[in-house]
Amino acid sequence: MKHNRLLTSAILAIVLLVAMALCSMVGVVSFDWHDLTQSPIFWNLRLPRVILSVIVGAVLSVCGTVYQSVFRNPLTDPYVLGISSGASLGAAIAILMGWEAHLWGVGSMALITAILTILLIFKVASIGNRMHTTTLLLTGVCLTFLITAVISLLMALRHDKMESIIFWTMGSFASASWIDIGILLPVSIVGILIVLYYSKDLNLLLAGSEVAQSLGVEVEKVRRRLLLFTTLMVAFAVSACGVIGFVGLEVPHCIRLVCGSDNRRIVPYSIFVGALFLLLCDTLSRTLIPPNELPVGSITSLVGAPMFIYLLYKSKRSI
Amino acid sequence: MVQLNHLSYSYGSHTILNDISLTVPDGSFCAVMGANGCGKTTLLRCIANLIHPAHGEVVIDGKPARDYTTRQLAQRIACVQQHPQTDIEFSAFETVLMGRNPYQRHLQNESQHDWDIVEQCMKQTNTWHLRLSLPSQMSGGELQRVMIARALAQQTPYLLLDEPTSNLDIAHQFEIMELLTDINRNQGKTILIVVHDLNLALRYCPQCMLLQGGTILFHGPTSEALQPERILTTFGVKTHLVEGYIQIDGQSR
Repeated sequence: MKHNRLLTSAILAIVLLVAMALCSMVGVVSFDWHDLTQSPIFWNLRLPRVILSVIVGAVLSVCGTVYQSVFRNPLTDPYVLGISSGASLGAAIAILMGWEAHLWGVGSMALITAILTILLIFKVASIGNRMHTTTLLLTGVCLTFLITAVISLLMALRHDKMESIIFWTMGSFASASWIDIGILLPVSIVGILIVLYYSKDLNLLLAGSEVAQSLGVEVEKVRRRLLLFTTLMVAFAVSACGVIGFVGLEVPHCIRLVCGSDNRRIVPYSIFVGALFLLLCDTLSRTLIPPNELPVGSITSLVGAPMFIYLLYKSKRSI
Repeated sequence: MVQLNHLSYSYGSHTILNDISLTVPDGSFCAVMGANGCGKTTLLRCIANLIHPAHGEVVIDGKPARDYTTRQLAQRIACVQQHPQTDIEFSAFETVLMGRNPYQRHLQNESQHDWDIVEQCMKQTNTWHLRLSLPSQMSGGELQRVMIARALAQQTPYLLLDEPTSNLDIAHQFEIMELLTDINRNQGKTILIVVHDLNLALRYCPQCMLLQGGTILFHGPTSEALQPERILTTFGVKTHLVEGYIQIDGQSR
């Protein structure tokens, strides 16, 4: 079993690396192997963009896997929980204040509001030191509506900034830089390693928290740690590139439909599959109608939704 | 040996268990009975340390339950609860394999030993042929047997079951009780089982504890426990014995 898992992960990693190499060569400016090393466009724009999309893809799908297991709800992902919309509120405010010029001005504001949002949601949904799942999801959905309304109001008041806010709420890697990667990469590596460490516990949590506890899982501790680190990862990811929906929801389910519910497989596979998926979507977004860019958030849904529905239709396994 | 010392549990201002003290000897097969809401499930959850009593303590093999780590306790007590509905499902084999979790470290894979135990437990509960089925594809009785198989895979000396026979037809109720009797006699497991059917308890469980309003009304042989006057106090139902079977006459009111 372990051998299979490692082998599959290794194959996926190789596929991902090849895809990264290919995707970094195509675009408005195409490269061949010879002028790669000299081109500043490649080093300062293309490569950071490819790497960032890979990290964000991995983070979003791993976090989706965790949320779906911890909350025992197949519809959960970072977007549904309200973290993404919380981040977009901060970004909208920062854009309106004219902080775009500052390095990471929008990003840090998005990070702050994302964390505040999730703290508020957890505060509302926790009874004692336990978390009530339905309340949590409903709070997340409600806050998402509220925040979307606030953002619409802000945009109505300031027509001039509308386009950049919309673009941010749809997600984009166009402004990817090495600084973004430098901030996001360490957070992601630590977070993903922690999720991998607890991936067996995720299986037991799916069977219910009391069942998990009677099978030897320290439920509250594991849950708190997983939620803390996944939330941090999502907040950092969203603040770097805006709101990208659907990846966190869809990737874990697609893997589940193909190779079962065991999180010890889903977590490592979703790192690579999520990364690959977002990499391809971003490449499409910048190459479909050059030199214009499409918002990557709409590409993820355009590509992902039909694929997801096809898998659901084909599969006898219910999700 | 499971000892309860002055155990009390309350939910808000509502007292559910009130100063319960008793000893469950090793090897007993004991029915936990009482009207709805009398604290049967709460009692089992306290024993399994899933909830913490307000006063008093649960002592398992001479050591207070709260002093065990979650893993250690999972190697001593197995629970069969009502199976929660989930949308993300595991096959019966994967489910039973989870019973080996208390013996595994993080990132550690199941060994051949674990696989053998799972196979043995599934064969014992007659669920081996269902190993690739998902819970949604199984009947209530099959699912209940899978849950029991998972508890057996934990290889614990104590087994707690919360209404494993509810929602099952008569044949499957007997099947589960026969299986538990076999486990009790041949593996020497101590079994505490919440059961509603008076005759099922009378037939299969040698011991019985009757709960009423959070206190223990009686703890001892089932044949003594289920006397008409005790049933009347506990459940408010008039009964009489006919050839070793409890015949229900109707409500006392």
